[in-house]
Amino acid sequence: MNRYQFEAAISAYIENDLNLLERQAFESYMDSNPDAKALVKNIRSTMQSVKGLNDLKTSSVFMSNLFKRIEFEKNRSSKRIVERPAKSIFGFTPLYASLMAVLVASFIGVGVNLWPDNSLSENTTPAFTGNITSTPANLGGNPVTEKSPTLVANETKTDSADTTINNKKNFRLDDNVKFVKKQR
Amino acid sequence: MDKQFVFTDEELIARFQNGDEQAYVELVNRYRDRLMTFVYRFVNDEVIAEDIVQDTLVKLYTHKDYYRNIAKFSTWIYTIAANLAKTELRKKKSRKVTYLSQMGPEERDYELPAVEPDTDELAQSEYIENKIQAAIQKLPLHFRTVTILRDIQELSYEEISKIVDVPLGTVKSRINRARIQLQKELKDLK
Repeated sequence: MNRYQFEAAISAYIENDLNLLERQAFESYMDSNPDAKALVKNIRSTMQSVKGLNDLKTSSVFMSNLFKRIEFEKNRSSKRIVERPAKSIFGFTPLYASLMAVLVASFIGVGVNLWPDNSLSENTTPAFTGNITSTPANLGGNPVTEKSPTLVANETKTDSADTTINNKKNFRLDDNVKFVKKQR
Repeated sequence: MDKQFVFTDEELIARFQNGDEQAYVELVNRYRDRLMTFVYRFVNDEVIAEDIVQDTLVKLYTHKDYYRNIAKFSTWIYTIAANLAKTELRKKKSRKVTYLSQMGPEERDYELPAVEPDTDELAQSEYIENKIQAAIQKLPLHFRTVTILRDIQELSYEEISKIVDVPLGTVKSRINRARIQLQKELKDLK
């Protein structure tokens, strides 16, 4: 603890507002610095002196003067005694509260309309309108349970933007390509 | 025992807001001396202090509906008194005519102080009190307010924080520094 920290903690120490560790550090500094101890003693004494100051009382004519002033205020103008409206909504009069509500609703409405639309547009991918669980159209009259050659061919012609379909073709080059290096 | 003396300050102001003027009188009786002590220690003038206390209580009467039971009543009324006292101090700086000429003898009890102070007749306690009061007056305004509220009026730190409208830590720091400064001023009183 340095001198600055010590002085900043004096009031907290006197008013028992320090935790145990802080108090120990404070008292350790105080014990090793006599002028610090004297400072704390002086401040305690000053606080006692200030607390001991006499309370003052108002004069004997205070109340009569006060009532005269109040009568004057009452008679001066009806507007002088300011009355807040009895009914208020969050501190606002009903008129202002309703105006505020309209303003807030307008802001919310404008904000919702200006919010960017994250849904996909019609030009990028076609919307799937069918039921995903339903079976494909039955071309041959019987329900399709296995992939037929015609359906396989049809699948390759559909949605080119669908990234789940693996469009890569596997080529077997074993007999078609000979490496030149092996001939040397 | 009269039921009025059982009511809390908040209950009294509520009754006053509903039209019970006797509740107002009870509040005046409770706070007039406390406010007088506070304001006097602030402005160092009994006559002006009494005027300010009257202004505070008139404002309590005319603006009673502005009190909401969110904070303590004492916080509210001390805030009014502190603001009026600060305003008066600002006016005092620019005032050219002394307050003696503004008073009528029929309006208040007043004793002219002796021109030549007679230190032999001053009691030791009165001397000490004057010294302490002078030391308090030397404090900067923001230190003086919190010192009076804490060490004389014995309000809590939380309440003082609301009255002067500064954070709690700032209040504690100001009080600490004010006490260090006061003890320097009053070293010769030991």
